[in-house]
Parts: sequence; C-alpha cells; structure tokens
Amino acid sequence: MSAIALADLTKVYATGVTAVDRLTLDVADGEFVVLVGPSGCGKTTALRMVAGLEPVTSGTVSIGGQVVNDVSPRRRDLAMVFQNYALYPHLTVYDNIGFALENAGVPKAERDRRIRAAAASIGLSDLLRRKPRQLSGGQRQRVAMGRAIVRDPAVFLMDEPLSNLDAKLRVWMRAEVLRVHKSIGAATLYVTHDQVEAMTMGDRIAVLNAGVLQQYGPPQELYARPVNLFVARFIGSPEMNLYEAAFDESGALVLGSQRISLGQAPSPPVIGERGAAPGQPVIVGVRPEDLALCPVGTPGALAADVAAVERLGSEVHAYFSIDARPAGHPADGGVPSAGTVVPADEADALPGAARGGVARLDPRAAVRPGARVTLRLDPARLYFFDPATGLATGWPASQATPAPALPSAPALPSGAN
Amino acid sequence: MTVSTAPPPPAAPPAPPETRRQRRRRERLVARDSEIPVELYGLPRGTITLLTVLAFLFALFTLIPIAWILINSTKTQANIFETFGFWFASPFQFFHTFGLLFQNVDGYGTFIQWFGNTALYAVLGGGGATVLAAFAGYGLARFRFRGSQMTFYAIIGALLVPITALTVPLYLSYAKAHLINSIWGMVLPSMISPIGVYLMRTYADISVPRELIDAARIDGAGELRIFLRVALPLMVPGVLTVLLINVVAVWNNYFLPLLIFNVNTKYPLTVGLGLWSNRAVNSGNANLYPMLVVGGLVTIVPLIALFLILQRYWRGGMLLGSIAN
Repeated sequence: MSAIALADLTKVYATGVTAVDRLTLDVADGEFVVLVGPSGCGKTTALRMVAGLEPVTSGTVSIGGQVVNDVSPRRRDLAMVFQNYALYPHLTVYDNIGFALENAGVPKAERDRRIRAAAASIGLSDLLRRKPRQLSGGQRQRVAMGRAIVRDPAVFLMDEPLSNLDAKLRVWMRAEVLRVHKSIGAATLYVTHDQVEAMTMGDRIAVLNAGVLQQYGPPQELYARPVNLFVARFIGSPEMNLYEAAFDESGALVLGSQRISLGQAPSPPVIGERGAAPGQPVIVGVRPEDLALCPVGTPGALAADVAAVERLGSEVHAYFSIDARPAGHPADGGVPSAGTVVPADEADALPGAARGGVARLDPRAAVRPGARVTLRLDPARLYFFDPATGLATGWPASQATPAPALPSAPALPSGAN
Repeated sequence: MTVSTAPPPPAAPPAPPETRRQRRRRERLVARDSEIPVELYGLPRGTITLLTVLAFLFALFTLIPIAWILINSTKTQANIFETFGFWFASPFQFFHTFGLLFQNVDGYGTFIQWFGNTALYAVLGGGGATVLAAFAGYGLARFRFRGSQMTFYAIIGALLVPITALTVPLYLSYAKAHLINSIWGMVLPSMISPIGVYLMRTYADISVPRELIDAARIDGAGELRIFLRVALPLMVPGVLTVLLINVVAVWNNYFLPLLIFNVNTKYPLTVGLGLWSNRAVNSGNANLYPMLVVGGLVTIVPLIALFLILQRYWRGGMLLGSIAN
C-alpha cells in the first residue's frame, strides 16, 4: 500500500487556469519523492492539495489507502515544512515545536519529553527559549523541521524548504533533511524548483511542467533516459545542448553546415523501430559533459566557435556556437513545453551566445573566447527526439541497460518502472 | 555522499542577555541610524526653517485649549472671568474645586458618579466593540464566504452614516425595547464600530500571513484556537489602536447618552458636564464654572493616560523572524 497516492488529481482555479492536470503518482512508505519543475508548474498546488490546504477540482488524494479529498488537514496525519517556515513569531522555539502536540491534547509531561527529543535530534536543544526572530535562517529552518518531526507523522510534506538558505547552508541542509527522513521513515513529498536538489535527494523524481507530469522515476533514469525534450533540458546542469539536425543517406548527422560522421558506431540509436529516414529532421541532444576537445578529423568531430569561458576551478564551461539551429531557447529559463521548437525567425533573433551550446571540459583545457575548437560528439552518447512531438526516439545506448519502451504519448502515466 | 562532508552551518553567536533598557537604547540607536539627516533632503535651509516655524505655530495653536484648562482649573469663578486667561491668579483653589466633584451639587448629580458611569460604558462598549471588531476583521481578512465582499462594503458604507441621522429611529426603537435609561441602551450601540472592523480587517490582512494559518491548520489547531493562539497575538498593536479609538469614542459620546438617559445618576461625564454648563449661566452657585473646568480636566486625563500606557505596545516587528526575509 502506498503512503500517498494521487489519481488524476486536477486543480482548475476560478480564473480557468489549470494548475495541475490529471496528476497520477504514488509514494511508497518511507520513500522520498521530489516534485520538481519550473516556477508555476503546479508543484506547490499539488502539494497543498495533498495537505488539504487547497480544494481538489477532480481526482483523488489518498493517504494510507484512504481517500482524503474532504478530510480537513488536521485529520490527515501529516506534517508540512513551508517555504518561509511559517514559524509562530510570538512563541518560543519550544512552543513552536510543541504547538501540534498541544492541539492534540498530549499530556504536558509527554509533550515535554517529545519536544526535547525532537529538538535534540536536530540540534536545537540550546535554543528552546528563543523566539524565531532571534534565530538565523538555518536555525529557523530547523525549527520548522522540528515542528514537523515531533508529531511522528505518516506523511511528510516539504515545500521548497531550503530555498531561503544561502548556497553553502543549502547543501548542508540537504544531507540533514535526508538524515531526518531516514530516521523517521515517513513517506515524504518534497517540492523544489532546483533540479540539483531533486537529483541529490529523491528516491524518485516527478518532473512537472504546466501542471502535467512529464516523467516519474529514479534520478538516474531521468538523466539517462529523459522521455521528452522538457525533461532532457530540465534535468542536468548545464543543460543539454539540443539542435535541429537530420541524417543523410550515409547515416552521417547533418548539423547546420557540418556533416558529422558517426563512424563505426553501431547503428545510431535513433534508427530504432521508428527510425529516421534520410533527410527527415530530428532533434539531437548532447550533454555538456559528453563533449571533449579533440583533434580535427576525429570521427564525430564538430567545429565550434567559443564565445565565452567560465572557469569553475574543477571544470570549465565553454559556451560555443555552431551554425545549426537550436531546439528551443537555451537561454530561456522558462522552458517551452514538450514538443515546441522555436520558430526559425525567433531563434534567429536570439543573441549569438544564446544560440550556442555549452561544453563541460577538463579544467586544464586550453580554450579561450574567440577561438575555434573541435569538439568530439560521442556517437554513443547522443539523445534523439522527434521534432514534431518532442518525445525521445533514442537514448545513449551505453546506458540503456534493458531500455524501457520509448514513450508514445505526450502525457505519461506514473511509475515509469 | 559528498554533501555530508560539508562543514556544519555557522552557529549564531549566543545572544547576550539584554536588559529592557539596553534593548530600548539599541532600538533607539537603530532607528536613528535609519533616518536620513535633514541636510540630505534636498531642501534649501530657509525652507526647512520656515516649515519648522509653521509646524511649531500650529502645534502651539492646538495646545492652547489644554493650556487654558490647566491654568484655569486653579482659579475661582471670578478670576476665570476677570483675570488674564493664560496666566495664574490667586487664590489657588484647584483642590477646593476638585473636592466639590465628589459632592452632589444643587441636586444636579455627582461628578464622580458620572465618572464611574463613563468608565463602565467605555470598558463595556469600547472593549466589546474591540472584541467584535477583532473577530470580524480577522474573519473578513482571512475567510472567503458568500457575501464577504458585500459585508465589507456595507461596513465601509456604515462609516458614512452620521449618528444624528438615526436619532428618531434609534429613540423610538429603544423606547419599544425598554432600553431607555438602561446601561445596555448605551453599551450595545457602542459595541458597533465600523471603523474598528475596517481597521482590524486591514491590520489582520497585513499582520497575519496566510502561511501561518496554514501551518496552524496542519498542526491540528481548530479555527477558534488559530484565532486566539496564532492570529490575535500578531494583531495586538492593531487591537490596541482600535481599543483606544473605541474607548475614546464612547468616553466622548454625548449624543447617544443624552438621548437615552433622563435620570442624572445614569449620566456619563459628557452629559453631566453639559448639564452643569447649562445650569452655570443662571445658577447662583459660584462654584459651577470652576467645577466645569476641573471636571473637564479630569475627564481628559484618563484618555491621555490610556494613550501613554498603550503607546509602548505600538512597536512593530512582531512578525520579524516568522517569515524569511
């Protein structure tokens, strides 16, 4: 029995906006599931429906096998951590943590014991007498966690709990949240817009866009086998380079004015059951980490002009441009929904750098802005998408252990495996 | 996992115990630091001086009646009329006159009894109005229900109706409801405060974040409990403002008690002093004018005291720390 099950969960606001569209997914006992997507994709609305803070338009929310659509939040046996913590400013840390127990009529002695145990488990023991305004951001965040764990809930909901912390603290708190999750073992639904957070924390990740579930599966699967352009672009940082391309009669990839021989690679994965005929457009994707500098003439070599170089110490991001047309706006934060390809004139209007791709290179790589370099595309590491639907038609072969069936419908059902 | 090797977050420095005086001082200094010095306003020196003088003159003008009442509360009736109004004259008979306030002079009624009446009406009426306004304001600010907008507009509309326009219907319906000469005739209408509801709604809207209510619901609190334990403490400065407004309104109310009371033992201060003022003209009692002046002074003192007491609660920053940034 799953701890949380959403079936065709839909939210339509009075304004007619569909925030969540037939969302179906389940969270097993003790599982940590991350709902991720760009802002406004409906992930918080979905979470609030699970919490009972937002009425459901249609579909069902079940907790522990019971449909709870019409059950008030206080009877759902869940705890929630809010984005802004929502601590009671006039109460001490002790009373903030104890408020739920007080409401539940837990006797004072037991309450005291549980508050102290919860506080100790997250390192708040010395701060119990403080008011929220006397705490740092990280401490407030932990009080919010403490308030949730003291109840020992069946279900744990978190709405971007780390987004107000500075970058260093956020990394540390990721581990802390996971540690707490392991210790209490409650099924957790965690909302974030940060794909790094999703990748590092989730047992499974549900990617949402415009209220529609795009893909639901373990992090590695989303990374290695994104079902559509949206997921391909959303998961991974820097994002995947995507270009419009085609194959010619010899099986070489035509990318703008360049013709890239894929060498002896076993028939490119794109030529699967739904293989691309010569000349038929495809969208080819290559992850920045799958590009490397190589000598001219290597099979799969691609000539590119370096526009900008970011040296991060451990690696180098080289932003380059080629004359192929990118699929979608690489520079646009709001990624278009699956299947959209930027119209030609719009793509032309983008500044040069924005039209380019990015390669993640060795820190010792000798690249500088303005240089022309040769990058190697590993034929085995290419992703292919159908430009008409945006759906994946081929994944890097090396990672496809037993490759699951390629997607066939735009809106995917839950539970990819 | 790589993240676990990251250093723990920096602990906040332990808060040094701070006395109230230290905190006041710190807050005063912080406030001073956040002010822009007048030199940086971009106004010419002369303009600033002129504006300051004008403001000072206006303040003086406003304070003249208070000064007059303070000075003349020490005079005899003859001196009130015959000596310079803004300076003292002997004999000093403030305490003599003050003593008379405790006596029933000429059968018109006892000042101290009116004082008690006013206090009672103000506490019940003003306090009741504040309680109702707090509930109503929070409800209108944080609950959507059928007609909530209409209700609010009706309340705004009620702000515009002068009580004078309601005299006749009020009197007639009170007569039927046996509220003439009843303290409820005074208290119940005083508990209706459209301005209080309006202010509480606005204040609740600003001071009680929806997220906090959500959190309390998740924490299993019922709606009444959320109001009392979460919302109300955050609304305290607003509640006190409304309390002050309502208490002052009842304290100074002349028209309503004039309408509903016709025995002088039920009078509040306003009506009692009005009675004295009417009688003073023709009465042979040479103490009535001084009693009016001292009575007037005693009437305003509690309101000033109330304001000074409540003032220290008008400190913002209650919400600090609840919501990030």
